[in-house]
Amino acid sequence: MTKDILVLGGGIAGIQSSLDLAEMGFKVHLVETLASIGGKMAQLDKTFPTNDCAI
Amino acid sequence: MLDVGRHPNITLLAYSELEKLAGEAGNFTATIRRKARFVEEDKCTGCGACAEVCPTSVLDLYNEGHAERKAIYSWFAQGIPSTHAIDPDHCRVLTGKKCGICQKKCEAGAINFDQKDSILELLVGAVIVATGYDVFDPSKLPEYRYTSLDNVITAMEFERFLSASGPTEGHLDRPSDRKVKAIIAQLEKKVKKSCKALDRFEKNHGTSSEQFYTAYTQDSLNPGEDQIKDLVKDQDKWAKKYEAHLENAIPLEALKEKAKKFTTAKKLAFIQCVGSRDLRFYPFCSGFCCMHSIKEAIIAHEHDNDTHSVIFGMDIRAVGKGFEEYKIRGGNNSNIVYKRSRVAEITKNADECPVLIYEDTLEQKVKKETFDLVVLATACAPVKSTGKIADILSIDIDQYGFFKTEPANPLDTTRQGIFVCGCAHSPMDIPESVAQASSAAARAVQAVMKKNDKKAS
Repeated sequence: MTKDILVLGGGIAGIQSSLDLAEMGFKVHLVETLASIGGKMAQLDKTFPTNDCAI
Repeated sequence: MLDVGRHPNITLLAYSELEKLAGEAGNFTATIRRKARFVEEDKCTGCGACAEVCPTSVLDLYNEGHAERKAIYSWFAQGIPSTHAIDPDHCRVLTGKKCGICQKKCEAGAINFDQKDSILELLVGAVIVATGYDVFDPSKLPEYRYTSLDNVITAMEFERFLSASGPTEGHLDRPSDRKVKAIIAQLEKKVKKSCKALDRFEKNHGTSSEQFYTAYTQDSLNPGEDQIKDLVKDQDKWAKKYEAHLENAIPLEALKEKAKKFTTAKKLAFIQCVGSRDLRFYPFCSGFCCMHSIKEAIIAHEHDNDTHSVIFGMDIRAVGKGFEEYKIRGGNNSNIVYKRSRVAEITKNADECPVLIYEDTLEQKVKKETFDLVVLATACAPVKSTGKIADILSIDIDQYGFFKTEPANPLDTTRQGIFVCGCAHSPMDIPESVAQASSAAARAVQAVMKKNDKKAS
């Protein structure tokens, strides 16, 4: 029985899950197929509704 | 994003793929392939000196193919990890040619062409699937002519055009105009080269190429006594060179004249439900496209106050806290007009401007309207590799290709200990993805803390 958790996908959902788990004290392995994390959201210029920068 | 790279509890395995998952909830063994980057992660500082000297240009998919990157690259400037990677399909060394400039340039000595894929085995208690979505390919809709009309683009491409770090540095230059400018740059290079060659002849014979060529074609060459030998020897060569020069120079001048009239796109059309709410493709509503079209129109207006936008949709689905107000604000302050219509066809006029043919359902009239740029709000489609991922994880997918869950347990997949969140589950916007991601994290904790993972109900 291990308490480590595997997260597949480094987009906004994967990042949020990983950070939540890490903050709770769990060890997380975050796997992303591209060279950097960020996913689709990193491609967006600004995000709705605050029109803040996505990165 | 930066926090993920820094957090002591997170091991970031970028440029990696899950190959196998064995075992059961609480005791999974995951086999992960770490693809060779050909750059040592612990040495690379992400300075980018290698990409500056790399001679191979590749289409940049981060910018949706509207810019170029090098064969050694970071996915985007602020990417985490900042470690660069070498594209094995394009790198000269890795495709068997001579190069290695990046290796010489790298002061950290991080480049290692002999790096191989490595396999990693991890023991994990639970898995969260957050594999996201793909942008629907609008070329499947023949009526919108996405592949043949340059000025019909997807919303994601438009995001890149709006971005200050994008291919046009935030200016709304039309793709057709950029194409012409690229051709001009190419022709200029050629003309510069041919001018150099012609200069040599002109210097030797003391006359301009134009004068020479007119005389040559009229057969009235009258060279001076001492030059006659040289000119007879050179004349055919010179004439040929001049003809080749004209072949490039004449279209170059014409294109330059045309380019003088280019302006940024001022009249934008947004077409909603491209691929979604369409029985030919995805019958569901993708949920976030209405709002991102409004957002893009507002930002385009912020960039240039002369911008006018028309959003064509069956209805604008502004469902959520403050969404309707956002829509109204766009209409009042940002020159946005909402038209209830499903665009039937897009053609183009002589200036490469897309011409929309649609029925205005309020007036019950078929209309034709010309725009500078058309932005397609493409559907949120399941990722292409969903089937493969589902096979590896032994979980089911639903009729559309998203991972299957039960309505009462929206985060639990069909296998215990595996949870799904974000657009891998179904189309959803960013706040919803974030909320679901936190929920999935909580479910995963329940799974690893309890021996008998009971479903929440």
